[in-house]
Amino acid sequence: MNSIDEVLLRFTSDWRNPVGIAALALVLFVAILYWEQTRFMLKSLRRNVLRSVLTGMATFILVLVITLVWSILAFLDRQTAAKSENLKAIITEKYQLPSQMPISYATSLAEGAPRNAGDYRVNPAKDSMLWAFYGGTLDPNKKTRENIIFFFAMEPSKIISYDNRTKKYSSMMDDIDQATDEEKRLLNDACREMEKYPYKVLVGPTRLAQMNKRVGERFKVTSLNYKEIDLEFEILGEIPGGRYELSAAMNYQYLQDAIESYNKGKSKDKQHAMTERTLALMWVRVPDMDAFERVAQQISSSPEYTTPAVKCDTASSGIASFLDAYKDLLFGMRWLLVPAILVTMSLVIANAISISVRERRVEMAVLKVLGFSPNQILSLVLGEALLIGCTSGLISGWLTYFLINDLVGGLALPIAFFGKFFISDAAPWWGLSIGAATALAGSVLPAWSARSVKVSEVFSKVA
Amino acid sequence: MSLAPIVRVENVCKSFRRGSEQIDVLMNLSLDVPEGEFLALMGPSGSGKTTLLNLIAGLDRPTSGVIRVGPETISDMSEARLARWRTRNVGFVFQFYNLLPVLTAYENVELPLLLLPMSKAMRKQQVTTALDLVGLSNRMNHRPGQLSGGQQQRVGIARAIVTDPTLIVADEPTGDLDTRSAHEILDLMVELKNSLNKTILMVTHDPKAASRAERILHLEKGQLVSETVPGAPALDSRITSEPTA
Ligand SMILES: Nc1ncnc2c1ncn2[C@@H]1O[C@H](COP(=O)(O)OP(=O)(O)O)[C@@H](O)[C@H]1O
Ligand SMILES: [Mg+2]
Repeated sequence: MNSIDEVLLRFTSDWRNPVGIAALALVLFVAILYWEQTRFMLKSLRRNVLRSVLTGMATFILVLVITLVWSILAFLDRQTAAKSENLKAIITEKYQLPSQMPISYATSLAEGAPRNAGDYRVNPAKDSMLWAFYGGTLDPNKKTRENIIFFFAMEPSKIISYDNRTKKYSSMMDDIDQATDEEKRLLNDACREMEKYPYKVLVGPTRLAQMNKRVGERFKVTSLNYKEIDLEFEILGEIPGGRYELSAAMNYQYLQDAIESYNKGKSKDKQHAMTERTLALMWVRVPDMDAFERVAQQISSSPEYTTPAVKCDTASSGIASFLDAYKDLLFGMRWLLVPAILVTMSLVIANAISISVRERRVEMAVLKVLGFSPNQILSLVLGEALLIGCTSGLISGWLTYFLINDLVGGLALPIAFFGKFFISDAAPWWGLSIGAATALAGSVLPAWSARSVKVSEVFSKVA
Repeated sequence: MSLAPIVRVENVCKSFRRGSEQIDVLMNLSLDVPEGEFLALMGPSGSGKTTLLNLIAGLDRPTSGVIRVGPETISDMSEARLARWRTRNVGFVFQFYNLLPVLTAYENVELPLLLLPMSKAMRKQQVTTALDLVGLSNRMNHRPGQLSGGQQQRVGIARAIVTDPTLIVADEPTGDLDTRSAHEILDLMVELKNSLNKTILMVTHDPKAASRAERILHLEKGQLVSETVPGAPALDSRITSEPTA
């Protein structure tokens, strides 16, 4: 069942879309097979260059808008799609935000809190990950945006690690799957370095530029959320990929050690206020919904997590509830805006094509006299519309993709934690199919009227 | 000249509907055209000349009656079949040339050949032959807008003969031309008849044009009323609706 979701997602997000490639191949094949006819259509379109160009431009702009809208929708879909495999359970504090749990929870939560024989047991070495947040400023006197840095504190082994036995990388981060082997190797080296020297950190490229620092430099952070736990870091490298442009990643152990040394020799009431509150959330990976239910049950029934209490969500359900606030907006985009644009496109094309058909009634009749069959006339008109639609759609989709992803480097979506979003790889195919579909829809009627031009009526002028 | 009729029109009626009104344009008309004949059709405006020509060229179907061209009965072919039949068997010459303005002379003449299974080289050969024949091989790459009326009509004739059809129909081909160009076009038609043995049906208003044909049929109110042979003293052979056998 759910694999259909996967297939659909892949279908709409990958440029190696078989249907897209097949469609383009078909279009090219037909255009070349009927090259003389195609040339004829091109020439007909050239007759009124302005009209053809304007029609193409309209298609172009509308495809651009649709591509943007669909990219956002597809992006959000992917975030909310309930995945059946490799489900990620997110464990956070139940009644408080931000979630602050004692690190002592981590060991048992990482196993999925099994208490009895037969309970579901997660492999903590591979399938769980802890998250803490450490933020501060580079200059305590100048707390400007550029000066504030925010770290995800985590176990580097969970970012990526290499299994010598299976010769495979494993990771808790979804994005890593898509990285090349070379990227994985580099990241793996970096993570091992972070384990060895916990003060070394990875920083997102944009943040790095804002800080005006280079790889290898050291800097000191005066903490904002861990008062008096001020840490010194060395920049090990940049975080690859587009999603973490503004973030930074550190080894959790560095934070933990700093707190412990702060507390050393201090009585209980003098200890750091955050001592029992460092764990922000836990990720636990489970193979399916069933395992998720069991783990959630184990955790909620455990007497261990009472002060504070914890809860367990799936990643997608968390995001889904977050997106609930935008439900109407998304609904409107999907079911009102997009169809409205499609209809507009069809009408624009219909208008242009029907004008050109009306202008050329005599010409259509001449073609009939020469032996063009009604269906050939129909195809000529449809072909003209398709030429405009496919070409401008394909170019528009591709250009949107190129501009946003390669030139601008992604669009920042004003929805909190999604970071940048990108135009789907499949955008050129969207453009092609939208262009083709609207061109067809818009030209069917004019083409039909051209098809039914009566030769005897055109030429037997009433005396 | 062979006497076997290539065109046979038998008891053809054609009427059009305009609203609730029925207009009978052709009434029980019969006509034979022998292969290789150059035939002119004359008659007052509205007498049904174009309608008759369109029926013979397979552009329309009669309300009743039978039309045969060569071995085929075209009066009961479907529209799509008629289209295919026209490509090979009929060349049409229009009063206003009706060349496609976006195409060059060469491409206009090539157009009907695109409907036939034919290699590019073959097409090229046939197009150049046709343009040669009408004396326009030096204007191949001109567009209609760059040609005079007479030249455009010659391209029109080249387009009509390029598929080597047996039958050429021309609806007032000189109607829009000055005397000199008209004369050249008529010379060309006679030449087609003489050297290529084409059967030509030409509608015309102009008695001078008609006099170049071998036989002139006079149409009035949808019926053939008389037949004359140019040069010969006017035969007052008033024919009714009997086939001229
Ligand atoms: N498609 C048509 N619909 C209605 N009336 C038509 C049509 N074609 C021709 N007619 C009528 O038939 C008559 C003969 O037309 P036509 O054959 O064009 O005459 P001609 O060519 O001899 O001037 C005219 O009265 C014309 O109005
Ligand atoms: Mg007429």
